[in-house]
Amino acid sequence: MQISIGVALALAIWAYIGIVLNLAPGLAWTEPLISGTITGLIVGDAAVGLSVGASLTLMSLGMHTFGGATIPDFFVGSILGTAFGIVTGSVETGLAIGMSVALLMMQLDVFGRGVNTVFIHAADKYVEDANWGRVTLMHILGHMPWGLTRAIPVFLALWLGQDAVIAFTNWVPQWFMDGIRTVGAILPALGFALLLGQMAIRKYLPFLIIGYVLFAYLGMSVIGISIVAVAIAVLYMQLKGGAENA
Amino acid sequence: MPNNKKKLSPEARRAMWRYIWTFQWSWNYERMQALGFAWSIFPVLEKVKKSKDELIAAMQRHLGFFNTHPPMGAAIFGAAVALEEEGADPDVIDSLKVGLMGPFAGIGDTLFAILTRPIIGTFAAALALQGNMFGFWLMVAFGLFWGLLSKYLLFHVGYRQGINVVSEVSEAGLLGRITEMATIMGVTVIGGFIPSILRVQTALKFTQEVEIDGQIQQKVVMVQDTLDQILPYAVPIGLVAFTYWLIKGRQWKPIQALGALVVIGFVGSLIGIF
Repeated sequence: MQISIGVALALAIWAYIGIVLNLAPGLAWTEPLISGTITGLIVGDAAVGLSVGASLTLMSLGMHTFGGATIPDFFVGSILGTAFGIVTGSVETGLAIGMSVALLMMQLDVFGRGVNTVFIHAADKYVEDANWGRVTLMHILGHMPWGLTRAIPVFLALWLGQDAVIAFTNWVPQWFMDGIRTVGAILPALGFALLLGQMAIRKYLPFLIIGYVLFAYLGMSVIGISIVAVAIAVLYMQLKGGAENA
Repeated sequence: MPNNKKKLSPEARRAMWRYIWTFQWSWNYERMQALGFAWSIFPVLEKVKKSKDELIAAMQRHLGFFNTHPPMGAAIFGAAVALEEEGADPDVIDSLKVGLMGPFAGIGDTLFAILTRPIIGTFAAALALQGNMFGFWLMVAFGLFWGLLSKYLLFHVGYRQGINVVSEVSEAGLLGRITEMATIMGVTVIGGFIPSILRVQTALKFTQEVEIDGQIQQKVVMVQDTLDQILPYAVPIGLVAFTYWLIKGRQWKPIQALGALVVIGFVGSLIGIF
């Protein structure tokens, strides 16, 4: 199966809309699970998208752009991963491509965020001149570097890169695919390490251990652990605060 | 006493929708959300500022560095809108913004990234992997809640409380308590996530010569089996601890730690550790 130029264009538009609406209002369409499914629907196989997207969402759990830090772009990864997964007929290949793309795209995120300073400098000048229409324009145009740094790579990869990607996946040695798969399996470690780094984990270490024991030794589900977590948090606050915090 | 039934003025309403729909569009490294804040509050400033110079000065004031978690920031923004309408001292408004953006980012990031996203995300992904479209819709609902509903509600809270937002959250220690509760819940759940999501095992094995019935025989020992008896999921725990140490102990940047994981993954799979 081949991806037509129309489909490539549609996916580029989806990439543009998805990232911009994630800046505001923040609809989380960049979530691989959402974006993979939509990509699947556009290309013609929602099931592959659902599967690739869900796997990438699991990989990215814990990764959050604290204060605007650049993290792997699983959004574009889910679009290209799903599209090539459908083209090559293999969810596995799609995942490997999606992950590689997510890592490669980090440079463009840094680029986009940097280019955007142009608009705020221009806005400074227009505010001085009380040219309010132009101030509006600078704010509204500010989304373009964000959108274009996603849409252009998606379009080029699908339109020009299709044959190359297929040839590459046919040629690529097994050790490389194994390596990528292993990287994907251990990548969530980064997200969790970043999350734990954001909080005073030394103070809260006992709770981390409780969660681990509930899963590893008692085999509890996510929902079960969540319910216990609520009880523990309430109990902790009651015991800690005395009368004023009760 | 703040008037809890206070209605939004038309300008405040316009400012709110500007904030909800476009706030971070002009996000940049230098002043981050500054232009979004200034542009969103503009309709209110235009109404209350008498002269052009006053309006320019007010806009320049709001173009100062600002960065917070957008849904929580809606409460700060709502309070700033109310204060501008009341003609409050600019210094008060500035210190409200600067004073609250850090703590509000902390609680917003905790509620979003540590608590709700991992829980909803895992649940939705598990459904999706079974081919269930409900996983997709759950994620969409999650986005609608954080993107639209939370901002709409928090803007109203901020607008009605005005300057009291500061005393409400700081004096009663409310903010600290919510953050701490969310952190405890999040950490507990993550304690379960680390072994459940990082399903890596070691493939290392070695052969041992054992004597059975007087005969020397080769016996293959899987390292993973031994590890499981000592500590289940030892590999995921070790990987997270190692990455945490790189970032916190060795002060590595996330992208450097990422590079280390890529190398570990490739080399580990080549020489048969994983």
